[in-house]
Amino acid sequence: MNDFKALSEAISKGDINKAVAETKSALEAGISAQDILNQGLIATMNEVGDRYSKGLIFVPQMLRSAKTMQECTKLLKPYFQEGDVVSKGQVLMGTVRGDLHDIGKNLVSMMLEGAGFTITDLGVDVAPEIFVEKVREVEPDIVGMSALLSTTMPAMADTIEALQKAGLRKKVKIMIGGAPVTERYAQKIGADAYGSDAGSAVTRAKELLGIDRSEE
Amino acid sequence: MSMSRRRPRRPGKRKRHTSDVWLHVLPDDRWFHVALGETIWETLQSTDVELEGDCYGLGRCGKCKVKVLSEIEAPSDAERALLDEDELEQGIRLACRTRINRDLAISISEEEEAAAEYFSILTTSHVLSERYIPQDQLEPLISKQLVTLPFSLQHEGLSDLDMIKLGLGSEYRDLQASLYCLRTLRDDLEEGSFRGVAVLHDHCLLDWQDEEQIDRRYGLVFDLGTSTLVGKLFSLADGSEVAVGSCLNSQKRYGSDLISRLQYCQEHPRGLKTMQSLILKDLNQITANLLETATINPEDIFVAVAAGNTTMQHLLLGLSPTGIAQAPFSPVVTDGLVLDAADVGLHLHPAAILYTMPMKSGYIGGDLLSFIIASGVAEQQDETILGLDMGTNGEIFLGNGKRLLTCSAAAGPALEGARITHGMNGRAGAIEGVALEDGNLRYRVIGNVKPEGICGSGLVDLVAVLLECGIIDENGLISPSPRADCRELNSRVVTRSGLSSFLVVPAEESARERPIYLTQKDVREFQLAKAAIAAGIKTLMDHLGVGVSDIDRVYLAGALGNYIDHHSAMRTGLMPRVDSEIVRSLGNAASTGAAMVLLAKHYWQTAFELTGFIEHIELSWRFDFNQYFIDHMTFHEDNPW
Repeated sequence: MNDFKALSEAISKGDINKAVAETKSALEAGISAQDILNQGLIATMNEVGDRYSKGLIFVPQMLRSAKTMQECTKLLKPYFQEGDVVSKGQVLMGTVRGDLHDIGKNLVSMMLEGAGFTITDLGVDVAPEIFVEKVREVEPDIVGMSALLSTTMPAMADTIEALQKAGLRKKVKIMIGGAPVTERYAQKIGADAYGSDAGSAVTRAKELLGIDRSEE
Repeated sequence: MSMSRRRPRRPGKRKRHTSDVWLHVLPDDRWFHVALGETIWETLQSTDVELEGDCYGLGRCGKCKVKVLSEIEAPSDAERALLDEDELEQGIRLACRTRINRDLAISISEEEEAAAEYFSILTTSHVLSERYIPQDQLEPLISKQLVTLPFSLQHEGLSDLDMIKLGLGSEYRDLQASLYCLRTLRDDLEEGSFRGVAVLHDHCLLDWQDEEQIDRRYGLVFDLGTSTLVGKLFSLADGSEVAVGSCLNSQKRYGSDLISRLQYCQEHPRGLKTMQSLILKDLNQITANLLETATINPEDIFVAVAAGNTTMQHLLLGLSPTGIAQAPFSPVVTDGLVLDAADVGLHLHPAAILYTMPMKSGYIGGDLLSFIIASGVAEQQDETILGLDMGTNGEIFLGNGKRLLTCSAAAGPALEGARITHGMNGRAGAIEGVALEDGNLRYRVIGNVKPEGICGSGLVDLVAVLLECGIIDENGLISPSPRADCRELNSRVVTRSGLSSFLVVPAEESARERPIYLTQKDVREFQLAKAAIAAGIKTLMDHLGVGVSDIDRVYLAGALGNYIDHHSAMRTGLMPRVDSEIVRSLGNAASTGAAMVLLAKHYWQTAFELTGFIEHIELSWRFDFNQYFIDHMTFHEDNPW
């Protein structure tokens, strides 16, 4: 097991320069890119997600950490051969029709990306038809929907219904989230999972695809 | 313990069917028939029993507490998270989380009664009274004119109305009349020997009265707030404010924020009707109280002007607000309307007129238009003026008579004390101010009683104080301060499973003998609220191309704006750091602007012109707003303004 304490601390603090320097020196020390990614970056982001879920850190800190991680990941890219890094899963993300809230959905996207998922972000005010069309095109494992207003929550149910009608519902897992959304609501509209925040969204996504945390 | 729990016995007169389940509500001894499996909250929604609550039964706010007297299942996870052990032990549950599967007796706490009480607030500050119309410029929406119909006219076979037209003079050739007036006109004319008072609204005769009534004319102004409704009674004869009254908006039982109420209208076919009748009931009650105070009759009130956010104005008129509930936020109407008050459902003079203020868009309502009129910002060309009405939606304007930008930032209800663990609105028992004196925490309570909770201005002060002494760090984390002189305050930091809370009031000092805390979650709610308002201001500043140093004046409106400490507001980053000399509170600016329309009718024209002149910046589409929103969540002293 390599020591990634300094790297981990830099990512937690969102110190991009320090984190980039640590990543470089880890590479120079001959540590494999795969180990840096899994034991350094992804492990740290899991911790960051946990701290966010608990309320110990807040949105700006988590975003800084996620950006720091992205910069470090860029450095690792040249070391990976085609097929080295297997995506944990393809996620189609969007804020539902009538809702223009961007930040929460972006946080979830960044955290999922940081955890090794591939993201297709449809943006905000996404109509059910667009979700259907994109599910056909991208063939994702998970569809993630966000709503920040209790008045736009019904659009999540509409989207699920549209996927059902298009015969696509069984091909994807559906995960929902956003301030007014609850576990109960997720069950009520037949979503597969509810993420109460960006950290737990990652946990839920892994559960949905049967990825065990201890395997990493 | 279960031995002491009561199983309710239904009143004998009711026959029991096998599927019948009853909810018995104490102390009022009310019985409600329940659909099996409904929550207590759902059952009480359709009744007039009021429960506290901010989240419309989502199980998030933890405020709809009831004491269950019957045997009851173990609490849900949500209840375990939101109630403390003492409460759970006593049988306290959340109404929205408790399903009724058999007869159930509950007791609702006294808090609801206190909340339902009519309470008076915000009398206009003396600064503002100067802004009401000077007597020589009075030109109220309703005028009265003494008319004598010459004997010669009475024998020409003219209609009564034509006689009055002639009596009033040539400018009234096109005079119209209310049906109410015409129905009694003949008798009234004869009774007064063809001399009397014409009650005129523009070119319409509302009533014909006896000449002694010449000075008896009154008008009302309504400020339709999401939380509080305010009514002001004015004498139209001299422009004076006769009485002020207010009450909590009864619609709050459907959620303390607008979105919850919009959701209710969306989901329930009769939801809109319910909302409308609640607000009418409140306004008629306020009116009755004002009339009693001033010892006048409903028939003396000929006009009312109502200003509120776009949703509230829609709900008052029974117009569907559901378009406002989601993008692109389209209301039914934004025009100012002149309506028959009786048609709307107000109990005034039978021919009274209701004016509703013009609006700009779904989230720029008649209240902001009124604030702009009250501030006089559009009348001057040189200074750059920032206006802030901080509520659930932070309504903001920036500019002057050359260019005036507006926006509405969704701050959430934290600044009104909602979604704050021990938050409450600004009524007796609320901590409204907090300060540090010689290292000790001092607080000021509305009504000078023992504290029950914290309202918006208290919250802003508290966060500012804790930032100042380092107990809240720039990221918003609560933890003991490294500073040596903060020992007393540090002893108030309580840490449970890694998260800290700050003890504001120990149990023995509080009204309910329960400690009042500021929790980590509360700080997060506050961060979101202040970031939304700050980002709204910053977006307008960018759009207008001005910096903080270019701002010449800051006007604050609304209850919070009136009581907030300007330094605390700047320290927490709710507003930019400016010289506090240039910051002024305008009090209840929505009602001031509406009163100006009432008392000088050219302001009605002004309001119309403003809707064309002001620019509305829709924040939710903007990338820059989102970026500023994130930037301003922290408490950096040098936040980028």
